[in-house]
Amino acid sequence: MIPFIDLLMVTISFLLITAVWSHMARINADAQVPGPPREVEPDKIEPEKQLHVEMRTPDKFVLIWKQSGTVISTVDVPRKDNLIVKDGKKSIRYPELAQKIEAEWKSVGTHRDGTDKKFDQAILHTDNETPYVFLIGVIDAIYQAHRPYNVGGKAEQVPSFNVTFAVN
Amino acid sequence: MTIHEPGRRLMHGIPLKFVQKRVSGGNHRSVVAGLSLTSMIDFLVVTVVFLLMTFSASGETPVNKNVRLPQAENTLDMIDAPIVAITGSAILVDGNAAGNTRAIEDSKRLQRIDELFNILKGKREVWKQLHPGKDFPGVVVLQIDQEVTAVVVKSVFQTSAFAGYPNVSFMVNSLPKTQK
Repeated sequence: MIPFIDLLMVTISFLLITAVWSHMARINADAQVPGPPREVEPDKIEPEKQLHVEMRTPDKFVLIWKQSGTVISTVDVPRKDNLIVKDGKKSIRYPELAQKIEAEWKSVGTHRDGTDKKFDQAILHTDNETPYVFLIGVIDAIYQAHRPYNVGGKAEQVPSFNVTFAVN
Repeated sequence: MTIHEPGRRLMHGIPLKFVQKRVSGGNHRSVVAGLSLTSMIDFLVVTVVFLLMTFSASGETPVNKNVRLPQAENTLDMIDAPIVAITGSAILVDGNAAGNTRAIEDSKRLQRIDELFNILKGKREVWKQLHPGKDFPGVVVLQIDQEVTAVVVKSVFQTSAFAGYPNVSFMVNSLPKTQK
């Protein structure tokens, strides 16, 4: 019994010392920049469909599917900023946008199978005045759509899109 | 060795009357307090389970007190990468000054931040020297206040990408996932 209590005490001490009380996390967004020059020119690959999410006006989002510069479809989504402020920390939710993006991915997205290692690409465009918290809200909404992804024979749910932040 | 009935043992073997009187309580409360082992072990087990559930292997990330991070739901665990923080108009890379955003805020135009570019490029060179033959991950974490405008975010983002860090992560406060 005494060694057992000792073990519990030591475990509690270790866990208390190494405990992390702040829950920091991250949201990914790639940048499209040219890579280093290659000696051998890679084979030409058929350009894939990409979802462009534009937040340039305060009243709507525009979802545009493009393939190598050609517009395939355009959808307007009314913009409702559900701003929540708690202890000075803001969070923006766009449930309608998230639902529409998920529906668009289900109808147009190409990488849906769990064995498919590639992801559909979403590109976020915004004007220069938008506060950062709104950008995070939109990226969060894009990551709401999930798909299966096989890792070591086990299917996990991962975001359907890979997000790129456009600086233009 | 005979088996004794469970009970209080401490100081009961001392053959002195006054000790026996004190130990057994006498007219006062006993000096030997009983401790319920079952309750104590229950408490310890519950504490261990709680601490194990809230344990995070990614460790604590230093956050500048002046930075109010936005909150997001669909997040990933933190990783070990250079942290570019924007507090007020100052830019910090891992806590060291790396320029400011005043010129961008005044002009409201996308600009490359040379000081930030040079520091990140230097960090990239050091990483390559320390890890020869390995692919550079090119990950940088941006710790940006919720009120910073997009033009500043874009400038820092583009500068990081040009310095060899195209995989940018935005640091946020994690929100619990809502059930669908």
